[in-house]
Amino acid sequence: MVGLSAGEKHFIYGGIAQDLRTDGRQRLHYRPISVEIGVIPQANGSSRVRLGATDVIVSIKAELGRPSSLHPDKGKVAIFIDCSPTAAPMFEGRGGEELSSELSLALQRCLLGGRSGAGAGIDLSSLVIVEGKVCWDLYIDGLVVSSDGNLLDALAAAIKVALCNTGIPKTTVNLGASPNDQPDVDVSDEEFLQFDTSGVPVIVTLTKVGRHYIVDATSEEESQMSSAVSISVNRHGQICGLTKRGGAGLDPSVILDMISVAKHVGEQLMSSLDSEIAAAEASAEDQ
Amino acid sequence: MATNPSTYSPSQSSERKQLQQQRRRLFQETDWTRFDGRGFQQCRPAFLKTGAASAASGSAFAAFGATKVIVSVFGPRESKKAMLYSSTGRLNCNVSYTAFSTSIRGQSSDHKEYSSMLHKALEGAIILETFPKTTVDVFALVVESGGGDLPVIITCASLALADAGIMMYDLVSSVSVSCFGRNIVIDPTSEEEACQDGNLMITCMPARNEVTQVTLTGEWSTAKINEAMELCLDACSKLAEIMRSCLKEAASAPS
Amino acid sequence: MEYVDSLTGFRLDGRRPNDMRQIRGEIGVVAKADGSALFEMGNTKVIAAIYGPREVQNKGQQANNQALVRCEYSMANFSTGDRTRRPKGDRRSTEISLVIRQTMEACILTHLMPHSQVILIEFLVHILLKFFMYFLPKICFLQIDIFVQVLQADGGTRSACINAATLALADAGIPMRDIVTSCSAGYLSSTPLLDLNYIEDSAGGPDVTVGILAKTDKVTLLQMDAKLPMDIFENVMQLAIEGCKAIAHYIRGVLLENTKQLECRRGI
Repeated sequence: MVGLSAGEKHFIYGGIAQDLRTDGRQRLHYRPISVEIGVIPQANGSSRVRLGATDVIVSIKAELGRPSSLHPDKGKVAIFIDCSPTAAPMFEGRGGEELSSELSLALQRCLLGGRSGAGAGIDLSSLVIVEGKVCWDLYIDGLVVSSDGNLLDALAAAIKVALCNTGIPKTTVNLGASPNDQPDVDVSDEEFLQFDTSGVPVIVTLTKVGRHYIVDATSEEESQMSSAVSISVNRHGQICGLTKRGGAGLDPSVILDMISVAKHVGEQLMSSLDSEIAAAEASAEDQ
Repeated sequence: MATNPSTYSPSQSSERKQLQQQRRRLFQETDWTRFDGRGFQQCRPAFLKTGAASAASGSAFAAFGATKVIVSVFGPRESKKAMLYSSTGRLNCNVSYTAFSTSIRGQSSDHKEYSSMLHKALEGAIILETFPKTTVDVFALVVESGGGDLPVIITCASLALADAGIMMYDLVSSVSVSCFGRNIVIDPTSEEEACQDGNLMITCMPARNEVTQVTLTGEWSTAKINEAMELCLDACSKLAEIMRSCLKEAASAPS
Repeated sequence: MEYVDSLTGFRLDGRRPNDMRQIRGEIGVVAKADGSALFEMGNTKVIAAIYGPREVQNKGQQANNQALVRCEYSMANFSTGDRTRRPKGDRRSTEISLVIRQTMEACILTHLMPHSQVILIEFLVHILLKFFMYFLPKICFLQIDIFVQVLQADGGTRSACINAATLALADAGIPMRDIVTSCSAGYLSSTPLLDLNYIEDSAGGPDVTVGILAKTDKVTLLQMDAKLPMDIFENVMQLAIEGCKAIAHYIRGVLLENTKQLECRRGI
């Protein structure tokens, strides 16, 4: 919990009203984002994203599994987020579970699309190896190492980067003699397929403090919020998910306004993320 | 739906799959009729009643088509000893399903988050400052799940809170819409929810024109969000009228 | 399985029996913490964060006349080879938390971080009226929280955690008797081996984890699995102590470098 004095609160409110926040940013500016890839060698893909003092690690592991009977033509993706106590003492023991499940749920809603699978950021049908029999189960594990607000945006960005870095092993399938046999799947150690990550959205969280809303709030600013709306935007400017936090009500027109702002900010975030990914890949190749 | 066979046998999974694929194809076409014969922008008939559980300080029963929910509200009562002093009241929400709420016993899967969603939808409407140091418990029980559970739970919970005499800024009403291709369908049933492309749920306080909670899944264009939101807000304000008349009726009835 | 090549004398990962894996320490990785550090031993990678000294949160735990030290050890889901979702507070992590806490408590000068207000208020009680007793419940006891998070586990997480915690405690500016360092050694294929990795660790042979106070040359942690003859144990332990000393030398270098940088930034 952030303890702020009346003066500090006033300073935050005043700064936001004048479009000059305590760290010198404008209302719609992100903190500098830094990206590292391949931080967890034993994972299929991994990334570390730092957004100011917020620091998250995401690892992606692919395991062979069975598709569910309802969707035989789709692989499965599971997202788990953990809040490490290193980020804040309140996450000690079971303290972080509530936030962890809230973040996991919000990310699932934003990345996995509707019930029928339409609008999913990750193309689940590309994970199928043999329809109805074998598919890849993708486990996305996020860890919050250090927290200074705006965890959801940082995690979504880290997942996007990690997916870019993910290589799914190439497989060769020997179908059994009878159609009921479980087919043999040979997993290659050397050849990897890249993931199509163009559809993966980014999440932009707009936090309402006083009468204005800001992006990328620090934990001090978040402690003063009345409500926050997280909007996930993909490359085509479509909205892929939306969640609201905080109790205070919002006027419907404000929400629509926020959506159009989020689309604009999301484009910028996506392009800056793209250049960061390219830079990280180049530096990874150099080593 | 087609006439039911006189003998009942549980449908095989392959049969169910086929049925589902058939339905999905159906939903992609531009003009299909809904299984229950409603129009796209027609809600299920809503039945609301306060005072469903006598032990609670306030309770309500809601039946929207096949979805039936009972909510009881206890409190404001003393917070647990372990909790620290707080100058505002606390709200505690819990949503549970009966074992027979779904067609396959005990298979009501994704409702773990409903408790926190219910909390988020209601906390903005309740004037928590009016009952410091105490807790209001809201227990929702879904008797039968027939689609659009969460909006019904939220609507029913706000009615139960009003019945319990908890101070609120306004009644909270909630409506969801499903999206199929280009069509937007209000108040979906569970069959429709199972193959929807996207879903938008809005919880609002109609008299104050404030949205307390909104969730969206699937891929939407801004124009479609506009359209869906307008539809939801309109439905919410009409639902609030029904809630209001239900409360008035209960108050005027001789006790 | 042959853990030491009989011809060349090399281990599975190409090290000689008394070679340590590459170690790396970094200070200040968690911006919000009072002190933090990252420590790598080969592929084992842990982060430690210190919060405190701060007021005791749970009044039931407070100790008299000294600061309370607490520790929590957690492993990331992705830290091991095959992905497992482990519940928080399982037996293994509780045990390691306890080991780390006891080891670090031994070197933190807990009696130096008392509740300075106590003396003041007791003084007031003596010279002023009795109703000053009402202030007594306000005495604040201090606690120090050590959180260690394993990012990658490849054997020797216990040692890596202790080394990371030492760095982080120093970063937090918490008074310590000395720096504690830890290293493990084992005995496989009739050879004492320093700093076991995961494969060697899971071979089931004896595994001696030692923690020492480097300057005063005192042992604060000693754990061993399996059995060893007395004379060989001495050799293995000596090897582990050598490892600890080497780590202590490195850690001192990291801290010195960090202090120099701080000086630079302050413009001294």
